[in-house]
Amino acid sequence: MITVNGIHVTFGRGTPLEKHALRGVDLTIPEGQFVTVIGSNGAGKSTFLGALAGDVIAESGSIAIDGTDVTRWATPKRASLVARVFQDPMVGSCTALTIEENMALAAARGRKRGLGFALSGDRRRHFRDRIAELGLGLENRLHDRMGLLSGGQRQAVSLLMATLAGSKILLLDEHTAALDPGTAEFVLGLTRRIVQENRLTTLMVTHSMRQALDYGDRTVMLHEGRIVLDVSGEQRAGLDVPHLLALFARQRGGEEIADDSLLIG
Amino acid sequence: MSEIAFFGAVEIGLVYALVALGVYLSFRVLDFPDLTVDGSFPLGAAVCATLLVAGVNPWLASLAAALAGAVAGLVTATLNVRFKILHLLASILTMIALFSVNLRVMGRPNVALLMQDTVLTPFYGLGLPDHMVRPLVVAVVVVAVVLLLARFLGSEFGLAMRATGVNARMARAQGVETDFHIYTGMALSNGLCALAGALFAQTNGFADVTTGIGTIVVGLAAVIVGETVLPARTMLWALVGCVVGSILYRLAVQLALSADVIGLQASDLNLVTAVLVAVALILPRVRLKAGRKTEAAR
Repeated sequence: MITVNGIHVTFGRGTPLEKHALRGVDLTIPEGQFVTVIGSNGAGKSTFLGALAGDVIAESGSIAIDGTDVTRWATPKRASLVARVFQDPMVGSCTALTIEENMALAAARGRKRGLGFALSGDRRRHFRDRIAELGLGLENRLHDRMGLLSGGQRQAVSLLMATLAGSKILLLDEHTAALDPGTAEFVLGLTRRIVQENRLTTLMVTHSMRQALDYGDRTVMLHEGRIVLDVSGEQRAGLDVPHLLALFARQRGGEEIADDSLLIG
Repeated sequence: MSEIAFFGAVEIGLVYALVALGVYLSFRVLDFPDLTVDGSFPLGAAVCATLLVAGVNPWLASLAAALAGAVAGLVTATLNVRFKILHLLASILTMIALFSVNLRVMGRPNVALLMQDTVLTPFYGLGLPDHMVRPLVVAVVVVAVVLLLARFLGSEFGLAMRATGVNARMARAQGVETDFHIYTGMALSNGLCALAGALFAQTNGFADVTTGIGTIVVGLAAVIVGETVLPARTMLWALVGCVVGSILYRLAVQLALSADVIGLQASDLNLVTAVLVAVALILPRVRLKAGRKTEAAR
């Protein structure tokens, strides 16, 4: 469960480029819920995810995960509770390390790292079994460097890595945005399966309204650092992309949506 | 090249192999360009020599030297991590400061170790000539360090350190305290360089504040030569590559200096080293460009 209470984030305070990225976001996500987050460029989606992950520390308000106040925790400490997949496959993995080394790194998330071997025979077998589940034939390439994989393969492995250490919360930051449509579809299907199997509380930021409605059980729209729309259940089931746009426009007092990227998909 | 010159080159190559391993840790593993080395190498020599003159056990003196180097590494890491000074500049500050520190430690610019017992003393007179004993003893130390380091970098802690250098953002998202790993890696790196300085003082019979100049370039040269002749797939081989690179580099230098035709003097060493490192850094790019051109021509 995630409880966010009135968080504010400002970048470059006191400079001409000051940006009030989050202006009092409140959100409670019950355990096991899959929330999709949409919004135009600069709406604060990534900042919000960063605030949950610990990359950005909120200047006011509070964030609690499973009842623990994590508002002041830095990223490495929060990693014991939060797993992440990044938009850029290069950011989410160590390209110079092998696949199995990346997996070993993720498997130790939230644990103290000692001087025991990172890769023992047992662990290698475990990783081989897990990566075989992806059905990509990567089980024979564990010694390959991560950088040799395609973007889609890397995102699939990143998703798998997010489940190796058994955290409760999964943050997906436009993790299919850098992929071609077919691969994106595959990764999204995999996402759905992994979220269900591990009963993860999930937040998925996406640029596509279609994806936002097709996946998950609740959709939240951010605009200028605030949540302007929050739909779930039957109301959401009856929504289509044009409806969503109309709802969004009404929320903004009839303001036209200028950002084309919102309409794609 | 005479036999003595050959073993001398191997000996100095083995001593600087420890520097190469330290430089590998900072430059390659942590991606932290660290010039502290130019100060921590003579610091190790100074601490060790001073303690030897004071009658301390040679192995203890060497250990103390390594610890002093580790502290120097921590200073640089603190300037960078805690106070956000650019890594290169942070290391230059420590390096400059160490010059004064080294003078203070010794109380004068150099210390001679002519009559002192060193780690080598027990092995002289066992039947082998001295010029073979020295590289052998240093080799044992180097092999031990390589094995320990490979074991360390293969551990969960070591893997987290490697991830810190490759992709700090990802490492943090995986719960790695990247700052802590930079501190540890820098301490280890400069500890090794100071140990090299301690061994240098004991094999050469003196410690001098000026021996540090260019240490970083020599270490880097060894790492690059090693990577070129021994492209490694595993951590252990990468470390072995540093050692091999260091020895090959010294042999090449010895060969160049002993070939009278070229007309090089010992004083040209730093120039030759700098040119060699520059060429080694430029070559891969030129090759890449040439490759692209031939592709375009097709």
